[in-house]
Amino acid sequence: MSNEITTEIAGGTSITFYTYLIYLAISIALTIWVARTLHKNGRVFLVDVFHGNEALADSVNHLLVVGFYLINFGYVSLALKLGYEVVSAQQSVEALSVKVGLVLLVLGGMHFFNLLIFSRMRRRSTRVAGPPPVPPDQFTAVAQEG
Amino acid sequence: MNALTVLYDPTCGLCRRAHEWLAQQPKLVEMQFVPCKSDEARKRYPELNHDLTQMDLTVIGDAGAVYFGPKAWLMVLWALSRYRDWAYRLATPELLPTTKRVVSAISQNRYQISRVPGLAR
Repeated sequence: MSNEITTEIAGGTSITFYTYLIYLAISIALTIWVARTLHKNGRVFLVDVFHGNEALADSVNHLLVVGFYLINFGYVSLALKLGYEVVSAQQSVEALSVKVGLVLLVLGGMHFFNLLIFSRMRRRSTRVAGPPPVPPDQFTAVAQEG
Repeated sequence: MNALTVLYDPTCGLCRRAHEWLAQQPKLVEMQFVPCKSDEARKRYPELNHDLTQMDLTVIGDAGAVYFGPKAWLMVLWALSRYRDWAYRLATPELLPTTKRVVSAISQNRYQISRVPGLAR
């Protein structure tokens, strides 16, 4: 660890460092793009789930997106370290492909998880307001209570 | 519909057991239990044929919609938050005939079933 730092300080910034920077740039851009897509298209869905209550829909939408950002940036940050020194451009691209590929998979997983939450919420809200499953056999007068 | 009245047969052990179980379930629709052919039942529903209510489970909605037998069972399931999906599933045209057969069989043999140890109290 201290070895890497000394080489960087001594010999300027290494290819490994640039690889990290590119990795961060791509990952952050991807996360923001997916989160914005989710935010924009999830809203319509949530407004429907909350029966037109737009304030509540916006609030839940925002909270979901915050969670999405936290988990993704957390993963991007934890997965940053390569564990070996990149010495050529080829190695750099290979390292990036693995790292960015994993970030994409995590993003995809998170995205489907969010869709699952949306559809669960929607199903529950339509279920609670659902009509009786069968029509009645007859009607009878109900005496007023009290 | 915000409330259901369940007219059950208090002389059958299985029904009493079912009543206890229902009382504990989380509900989407409020449920009240009234023994069938009781004074309370007659007072609430003066125009209802109360002899019919002893033949099979009867459920009455707050606006007076009456459901007998298998339909009443489906309404009870529909009122429970854990089983609403099942009510819809069992009420589909594919499953409704089977549901009706099974429910009628249980209902008609309820006194015999009640004698099975452990099933009823």
